[in-house]
Amino acid sequence: MSTAGQPHASPLTLATATRSGIGYWLAGLRSMMRFDLARARQWAALMVIIQVMMGVGMALIYGFFYPRISHQTALYITTGTPALALIPLGFVMVPASVGQQKLEGTFDFTWSLPVPRSAQATSTFLLFTLLSLPGAVLALVVAAWHYGVSLTISAQIVPGTVLCALTAVSAGFGMALMIANPLLTNLITNTLMFVVLLFSPIVYPPAHLPAWLFAIDRVLPFYNMAEVIRAGLTVGLVTDLTRSYLILAGWTMAGWIMTAWVVERRH
Amino acid sequence: MTRWHLASLRLWIMLLAVVQIMAGAGFVLGIALFFDHIPVTAALFVSTGVPVINLVLVGLILGPQLVAQQKLQQSYDFVRSLPVPQASAAAAWYTVCLLAGLPAVVVSLLIAEARYGFSFSVSPAIAPAVLLTAFTGTMIGYGLGHAVPNPMVTQLVTQLLVFVIFGFTPILFPAWQLPHWLAVVNWWFPFGHMAVIVRAGLTTGLVAGIGSSYLIVAAWGIIGAAASAWALGSRG
Repeated sequence: MSTAGQPHASPLTLATATRSGIGYWLAGLRSMMRFDLARARQWAALMVIIQVMMGVGMALIYGFFYPRISHQTALYITTGTPALALIPLGFVMVPASVGQQKLEGTFDFTWSLPVPRSAQATSTFLLFTLLSLPGAVLALVVAAWHYGVSLTISAQIVPGTVLCALTAVSAGFGMALMIANPLLTNLITNTLMFVVLLFSPIVYPPAHLPAWLFAIDRVLPFYNMAEVIRAGLTVGLVTDLTRSYLILAGWTMAGWIMTAWVVERRH
Repeated sequence: MTRWHLASLRLWIMLLAVVQIMAGAGFVLGIALFFDHIPVTAALFVSTGVPVINLVLVGLILGPQLVAQQKLQQSYDFVRSLPVPQASAAAAWYTVCLLAGLPAVVVSLLIAEARYGFSFSVSPAIAPAVLLTAFTGTMIGYGLGHAVPNPMVTQLVTQLLVFVIFGFTPILFPAWQLPHWLAVVNWWFPFGHMAVIVRAGLTTGLVAGIGSSYLIVAAWGIIGAAASAWALGSRG
């Protein structure tokens, strides 16, 4: 690791460094974070802008479909907005970025860097999770202002939102790694978005759904993301919160396991 | 040229038709979930708006993306060099787009009738409405694909258009549910008017002022066709 700090040191110092252990891993994570952040400077601002536009745009669009917007409707749309800003980031932008890197060959280059791959993956998760938060918050602020909804914000909004971001990024990344063909990934993510935006009870109460459809939504991450965030913004709307947290944790783990499996499999 | 398109897109066309049908059915069915009990008007607007989206999706969105892709892959000049008059090439493309959209239109309408229990009163006016809507959508897309030099810009504009068409134009919902200024802006664009003329062919008493809608949609169709003709003619 000494070489990363001092670019002019002799390459020979590498041989003496220990290339295992928690210290080495953390140092690897640190330099990967720096590497990823430096790369992200090019597109991070644009990504946040797109994300806010998607989040705010969807929040407005849902409103247009209602002849009259009741307080309940406005509350559901507003509190669903952060999830609407996080879902496309995790399930569209992350896979798209992986796909593009695969096509350009950057992907293999990054993996060839002398840093543990688990540290590389962790760095990606941390980076995207951090980057996704400003967009989610901004989208919520705009939606709350537009619909004139007053929210009851509790402390659990912080872990809730972070977990949601992490779940979206992890599951999206794992999926993008598991599916070799970027075109197939593209098709799946687009279909997923369409289905989620219409058929997941994110901006409307689950009571509107037939029972079988709700049963599916309860095990998928999307509705649970909305629930966890909604619980931090309102009182009395959300029940069964523990279950939602567990399901999200499960999807996050699934994303990590998929990532680990692919990372291991590749030479 | 129609055969050329059908041959080069044969796998695509099948896939597209399926995607279109699923998207149409998804919208018709999904919208009911937004409400406790969906008002008849809302259901009627969505059901008569989805066919418009089915009709323009291929020509307006996928067409320019296809041309942009050809430009990137550099097969664009090859296709251009084929010994076919530009007008018949455009007509061929229009036919393909219409064919890719029509099955979805029929299926969406049938599903809507089954789900919401109303029956459409189809009048002969549906024929010109469908033909003109598909024509204008295809021609705007054609112009976008051919007249915009940078393929990346084309991609970006079409992706934005999808978003705008679904959410910010009065196709799937009545114009008065939009903020006033947005409704005014939309009056100058063809998308809301496409929905008006198609709706007029499927229902009675829901829409008025069809004349100006036909004019605006036709005008945009001509603008698109002119832009394409200019772009295709100006190259050596």
